[in-house]
Amino acid sequence: MKSNRSSVMILLLSLFIGFSVIALFPTFSNAQSESKTFVTHSGSVIKTSGEIIDPVYTTTVPEYTESTIEFDPMEYLREFNYGNVSTLPDGSALREFTIIADDDQIMEVSPGIFFNVWTFNGTVPGPTIRATEGDTVRIKFINNGSKEHTMHFHGIHPAEMDGVFEIVGSGGGQFIYEFEAGPVGVHPYHCHVMPLEEHIVRGLYGVFIVDPKEERPPADEMVMVLNGLDMDFDGENNFYAANTIPFYYQHHPIQINTNELIRVYVVNMVEFDPINNLHLHGNLYNYYPTGTDIVPSAYTDMITLSQTERGIMEFEYDYPGKYLFHAHKVEFSEKGWVGVFLVNDNQDENIQDSDYGS
Amino acid sequence: MEVNNHNSSKGKVIASGIIPFAFVILMMVYIFGPGADLLDFGTPLPEVTIEKVDFIGSEIHATVRNTGPIPVEVVMADINDRIQPAAVEPDRFLERFETTLVRIPFEWNEAEPYIIGITIEDGTRFEKEVESAAPALEPSLDLAIFFAIIGTYVGIIPVMIGLLWLPFIKKISKQKFHFFLALTAGLLLFLAIDSIEEAIEVSDESLAGSFNGSLLVATVTILSFLGLYYSGNKLVERASSSKLAKPVAIALMISIGIGLHNFGEGLAIGAAVGLGSVAFSTFLIVGFALHNTTEGIAIAAPMSRGKLMIGKLAAMGMIAGAPAIFGAWIGGFSYSPFTSVIFLSIGAGAIFQVIVVIMKWIRDEGDHNLSSASVASGFAVGMLVMYLTSILV
Repeated sequence: MKSNRSSVMILLLSLFIGFSVIALFPTFSNAQSESKTFVTHSGSVIKTSGEIIDPVYTTTVPEYTESTIEFDPMEYLREFNYGNVSTLPDGSALREFTIIADDDQIMEVSPGIFFNVWTFNGTVPGPTIRATEGDTVRIKFINNGSKEHTMHFHGIHPAEMDGVFEIVGSGGGQFIYEFEAGPVGVHPYHCHVMPLEEHIVRGLYGVFIVDPKEERPPADEMVMVLNGLDMDFDGENNFYAANTIPFYYQHHPIQINTNELIRVYVVNMVEFDPINNLHLHGNLYNYYPTGTDIVPSAYTDMITLSQTERGIMEFEYDYPGKYLFHAHKVEFSEKGWVGVFLVNDNQDENIQDSDYGS
Repeated sequence: MEVNNHNSSKGKVIASGIIPFAFVILMMVYIFGPGADLLDFGTPLPEVTIEKVDFIGSEIHATVRNTGPIPVEVVMADINDRIQPAAVEPDRFLERFETTLVRIPFEWNEAEPYIIGITIEDGTRFEKEVESAAPALEPSLDLAIFFAIIGTYVGIIPVMIGLLWLPFIKKISKQKFHFFLALTAGLLLFLAIDSIEEAIEVSDESLAGSFNGSLLVATVTILSFLGLYYSGNKLVERASSSKLAKPVAIALMISIGIGLHNFGEGLAIGAAVGLGSVAFSTFLIVGFALHNTTEGIAIAAPMSRGKLMIGKLAAMGMIAGAPAIFGAWIGGFSYSPFTSVIFLSIGAGAIFQVIVVIMKWIRDEGDHNLSSASVASGFAVGMLVMYLTSILV
C-alpha cells in the first residue's frame, strides 16, 4: 500500500514535469505546404513556408478592416487645394477652405500596423493649402475631436489669427481664420494646443504654399512632408517617411520625365530628432530656403533641415532610370524615409502642362 | 432510520464539498457571459517575448512567444532597430502562449552584439539583446564528442577524484567524520543556492513575466524536494530491511541530487557555448573541475562508514557526473530557457532533500547534537570552499 502510494506520487510528479516541458517547449505547428519568396535588402531571394512581413516591398496592403483612413501618398504628392475662389470688392481673390480636425481615426501606417492618428480633413499630413501672395485666405475650422485643437500658420498675420491663444473646443467648436497670404514661400501649419509635441507628432500638420504674384516657371510640382511616427510613445520615432507611409515611394516610384523641371516643396515636421535631411541621387538641386527668395541659396544634393525648416528644390534629370532620394541620416532611411524617382525618357520635348496656378 | 441518517449525513458532506465549487463555476459563467461588461474596463496590454535567437547561415532566427493576455500579430522585424524584411513561420497570428519563428535574412558578423526587435500590430516593439553572435550549433558527431569531453572534464573526472578522499575519511575519528559530513552539507547548500540563483537569472533573462519566474523556481524546487524526500525515505526504509546499507542509500541519494545539479550545470554550459556568450577557455574548465571535485567528497563521506565497495562507488560517481554530458548535449543542441529553469529547480530541490537527510544522519549518530564544533565548522568550511572555488568559474 505504502510503496504503491509512493510510486503513484513519483508517477504524478514525473507526469507533471513531463507535461509542462512538452506544453511549453517551443513548438511549431505543421508548416504550410505552399512556399513564398521575398527579396532581402542585399538582394538574395528567401523562400518560406510561412508568411512574409516586409514593409519595404509589400505593394498591396491586404485588409483595411481596422483602418478608418484611406491615404494614398501618390495622390497627396501632387494634390494642391486652392479653395473656393471668389473676388472681393477691392478686386483681390478670396480663398475659402473648410478644415475639420479629428482625433479618433485609426490609420494603417505600415502593413499590419495600426495607429491612432489625429487629422486635419482625415489625413496625415492635412491638405496642402495653396494661395497667391495677397489673396485673402479664410479657413472655417471645425474641431470634431475629443480634445482642443487649433490651426497655427507660419507666416505673417494678426496675433488673433495665430491659433495659439484662441483654443477651439472639442466636439464641434469652430473658428474662422482669416489673413492675407504671405510671405511668398512654403510654410507649415499645425495645431498649437499643449502638449504641443503630442498634437504635432500625432499628425495635426500640413503645408501652406504662397505663390508669388508673378508665377514661377512651370514644373512638375510635388509636396514632401518629412515626418516620423512614434508608435510606442517612448519619445523616439519608430518610422520615418516622406508623406507618412514608410518606404512608400521606394516600392511605388515617383514617375518623372527627363528634361522636365521638377519642383519639390519640402517641409520637415520630424519631432524628437533635431535634424533631418534630403539627399538626391544622380543629380543636384537648386535650393530656395523657405521659398522666400527667387535666387537659390545653394546648388547641392544634400540639405539639412531642423524642425519645421523647409524650402523648395528644383532639378531636372538628364538621364532616365531609377534614382533614390532619402535621408542621409541613414537610420531614418532604414526606417522608411527613402524613395525612388523613376525618370522616364521624355521623347516629347514639350514640357507637359502642369496644373500650376489654376 | 439509522442507515438513512447515515446516508443523509454523507450526502450533506458531499454537498457541502460541492457547493463552493458550484458557486465558483457560477461566478465564472457570469463573468464570461452576462457580466462581461462589468469588467470591461482598462486595456489589456499585449506582450511578446523573444525566447531564443539563433544565428544560422545568413539569417537570424527569433523564436517569439505571445506572453500577454490577448492574441497578437507579428508584423515587423528589425535588427539593431533597422527595419528588415522577414518571414514568419508558420504564420504571424499568435494566440496566448503560442510561438512562431521569425526568420530575418541578415549578414551578421560573428562575436558582435545584436538587438533583435519584433513589432506587433499596435506598433509596440519588443526586443532581445544578444551579447555576441555565434553560429547556431549544428548537431554533429564532432560536436557531440566535444560536449561529451567537456561534460567528462566538468562532471565525471572531478567527482571521481573527489571520491579518492574515501580512504582518508575512513581512517578518521567520529568527530572528524562528522566534520566531513557537515562539510558535505555545506557544499551542497552552496550548490542549491547556486542552482536557484541560476534558475532565477535564466527566468529573468529569457522567460516572460507571465511565467512568474521566481515562483516557478520556488514551486518546482519544493515539489522536487517533497517528491525526493518522500521516495528517499522509502528507499532508506527498504534499505534497512535489505542488503543495501543505510550509508549506501544516502550516498545514492546524494549522487542523484548532485547528478540533477550537474545536469543543470551541463545545460548551462551547453547553452553558453551555443549562445556564444562564453569563450570556453581551459581556465574555465579547470575552475569547474576544481569546484566539482568537492562533490565527490559529498558522496565519499557517507560511503566511508560501510564496506569499501569500489563498483558501487564508481557507479555513484557516474550517476553524479555523467548527467553533465547529457545536459551539455541538450543545452547545446536544443536550448530552451524553460527546461533549463525547470531542471535547475529540480536539482535545487534534490539537493535540499539530501541536506536534510545528511543533517538527520549526523543528528542520529552524533548524540542528537547539531551544534558541535565539528559540525558547525564543517558546514562553514564547506560553504567557504565552494565560494572560493566558484570564483575560479
